[in-house]
Amino acid sequence: MKTVVSRLVRIHLLAVIAFGCTAFDSHARINVVTLPGRDTVQLTIYNSADLTLVKETRVLTFKQGLNRLEFSWANTLIDPTSVEFRALTNADKVEVLDVSFPARVTNTLEWRIASEVAGEVKCEIRYFTSGISWGADYVVEADQKEKQMQLAGSVRVNNHSGEDYENAQIRLVVGVVRLVQSIVDLARQGQPIGEVPKPGSAVPMMPPAAKFDAMRGMGRAVGEAEMRQREVVKEALSEYFLYTVEGRDTVANGWSKRMPSFKAAEVPITSYYKYERERWGDIVMRYYKFTNAVPSKLGKEPLPDGGVMAFRTVTKDNLYSFVGRTAVKYIPIGETVEMELGNDAEVMVKPTLMSWGKVDLAFDPFGNVKGWTTKESWQFEIQNSKEIEVVLDIRRNFGGDWSMVTEQAYEKVDATKVKMVLPLKPLEKRTITYELTTRHGSNATK
Amino acid sequence: MTMKPIRQLLCLIALLALVSPAFARVKLVALPDRARVVVSLSHPDVTLLEEERMLPLQKGGNQIDFSWRGVNIDANSIQIRLLTAPEQVNIINTSYPPNENALIWQVFSPVAKEERVRISYIIGGLTREVAYRAVSEPDEKSLALRNYLKLRNHSGEDIVDAEFGIGYGASFKKSIQHEESLELLSERIDALPIKKILTWDSAQQPWDPEYVKSTVGLPLTYVIKNDKVSKLGVHTLLPGKARIFIKTKEQPEKEGDKPGEGVAFTGEDWAGLTPVDREMKLYIGQSRDVKVTQRKVREDRVNIRRNNGNNPVLWDTDELYKIEIENFKKVAVDVVIVEHFPGYWKIVENSHAAAFKKKDAFTFEFHLNLPAESTGAKKTTINFNLNRLNVQGNEPSSY
Repeated sequence: MKTVVSRLVRIHLLAVIAFGCTAFDSHARINVVTLPGRDTVQLTIYNSADLTLVKETRVLTFKQGLNRLEFSWANTLIDPTSVEFRALTNADKVEVLDVSFPARVTNTLEWRIASEVAGEVKCEIRYFTSGISWGADYVVEADQKEKQMQLAGSVRVNNHSGEDYENAQIRLVVGVVRLVQSIVDLARQGQPIGEVPKPGSAVPMMPPAAKFDAMRGMGRAVGEAEMRQREVVKEALSEYFLYTVEGRDTVANGWSKRMPSFKAAEVPITSYYKYERERWGDIVMRYYKFTNAVPSKLGKEPLPDGGVMAFRTVTKDNLYSFVGRTAVKYIPIGETVEMELGNDAEVMVKPTLMSWGKVDLAFDPFGNVKGWTTKESWQFEIQNSKEIEVVLDIRRNFGGDWSMVTEQAYEKVDATKVKMVLPLKPLEKRTITYELTTRHGSNATK
Repeated sequence: MTMKPIRQLLCLIALLALVSPAFARVKLVALPDRARVVVSLSHPDVTLLEEERMLPLQKGGNQIDFSWRGVNIDANSIQIRLLTAPEQVNIINTSYPPNENALIWQVFSPVAKEERVRISYIIGGLTREVAYRAVSEPDEKSLALRNYLKLRNHSGEDIVDAEFGIGYGASFKKSIQHEESLELLSERIDALPIKKILTWDSAQQPWDPEYVKSTVGLPLTYVIKNDKVSKLGVHTLLPGKARIFIKTKEQPEKEGDKPGEGVAFTGEDWAGLTPVDREMKLYIGQSRDVKVTQRKVREDRVNIRRNNGNNPVLWDTDELYKIEIENFKKVAVDVVIVEHFPGYWKIVENSHAAAFKKKDAFTFEFHLNLPAESTGAKKTTINFNLNRLNVQGNEPSSY
């Protein structure tokens, strides 16, 4: 049974049979003599911009002399300004004379190529497309005591470009690139409005039969290289990190594909809780804190930003309890990060202002109050209702010329913020207190 | 007749030969039943369902197609874990077809075998709530508490023989059909000691009942302490509606019979989350048998400091308060009087120092036990003298 080819990017080698016709004469362009397919395709997908660099190779048969090559990409999101051609074999004998974008024909360009050789030439065509994206996601599986986790990272490629990419090598770029014009805008230039599928939307031009073919692509190939999980090879590249997915994959238009990237077991974590009224009100936020470093069984590469699903195993047979979902920022090697997992009422912080006083009044020569000092006594009731050890981080923000006296160890984070970090045992209750003195007006000394 | 929604949770396995030409992924080879279903309700907002199935894997590549219709599954939450031979079998990748509630796992198995897998996902519409029902003894010193777990299934899926866990206590096995609700007794505590407290708050209740047309009611609160003494104290009590009843005697069926026992409803409240060793306070009604009259007997500005324009810029106050409390009930009652004073102040004199309790910088309370029928000359009278200090008129009243 013949299946319909779902490719929308086509290349035609045109027979130059009527030299009387100019390259701008569209009537001459109907003379298609070959329809060479892709031999290889490589996708380099960026996550900081809607940008993918597509590199494909095809073998074209040239005749000696002038050859005209038409490249068209109807109903895709290819940036026409980015399309480049070069010969990989006989490179010194094949020369692009010019490239034209025929009038009244959309999404088509034509190269005039002078070839000193007749026969097959391996060529590379490169272009940018939008509509393909990738993202990282992570699954955290914390142990019952929340001392260690298994961190599994995956990468997910989403193809809404309008084009199927079969047997493609997939490379993913972690990093921020600058674009002065968006690729999707460039792709839309020269096309009637509404013809170009928007990224993320259903692609209208893909016929059912093509979808069938895409499924074939998804189901293809459980070959030798695919008997195990693909390795995602990571390498540093300037300010970027390049992930290359081992082997070849098909990502059909409209589909997404998620591939395991890494899995690290026994990563030490701290069950960390934060209380800061100015940020979250009177609730306590829960975090898993870990370091992307070798001693923590990680640290081989920076971790791209992405979504996190966190579970805790709660039984001997590792049934899950849902902890929370969040997003993590890009994590460089060596950095300690906190995954915010939402509010947890099992750790309670109850602050109470127990006394407030105004003293040390000072007056100006007119008898008006020019300075005063306030003294506050604070009491914090703390309760860990969990049966595991946790660490609680309480932050307080003070303004003006303030000083604090407490038996509780604290760290001054900046001029207006202090941090008290309290390890709490299972089911521990504790009360901490501090006295805050704030000098106002002329009483202020700094 | 109501129409049952179309719903189906499918786990299809399309098996692929190692080297094969084109295949449609809809090729169905097996539809394995669920071997186990576990529902975790420990998270307050999210329900996690885990199901285990025996998948017959063919040697080589296999496609497991997991799809659902009419079931509210968070597609991005779906996880699969291999239970039998995770070191041998590999999940190669996961594909998400467009415009379908489905995903496809590509799985490689070195041999033909059955693999037990656990599929976990967040499911919407399967919710839990907690409800409390209590029957107080007539003397209101103790009550029998029943803690119910209410399950509601609007997920679109029938949950059959599932193990339910709520984050504490033992899990239990139940079935719950789509659109079915279940109420389960999860805890039962008899003779749980309670405190009954009436509260008069100077910021909430009128000071002089004589100027109020209707009888002033004092909020009535039952206080349950989540501790061992109360036969609780094992876990945090979750929020939920609490309905309180009180035992009554019913008229005998016929003369000469013993009076029967019945109950009367005394009120309800939303119980808040209550960690161990903390109090659950249930405001269930009002009492109109205790009358509180508060008057400010003296209010003088003293120690006034003026600027050169003779305008006061700073002063103290000398304030005297008198609170008269009458209990018309035939039993003693606990009453809490709540006072609010912003800024910097100190109590100079207090007739009920033993009952005085400072709650915070701007609030103090008197905790009183009023004797039965302490009215008229027997009424309780509190006098306290309070000085506000260094007043400028811009003192804080909250924090």
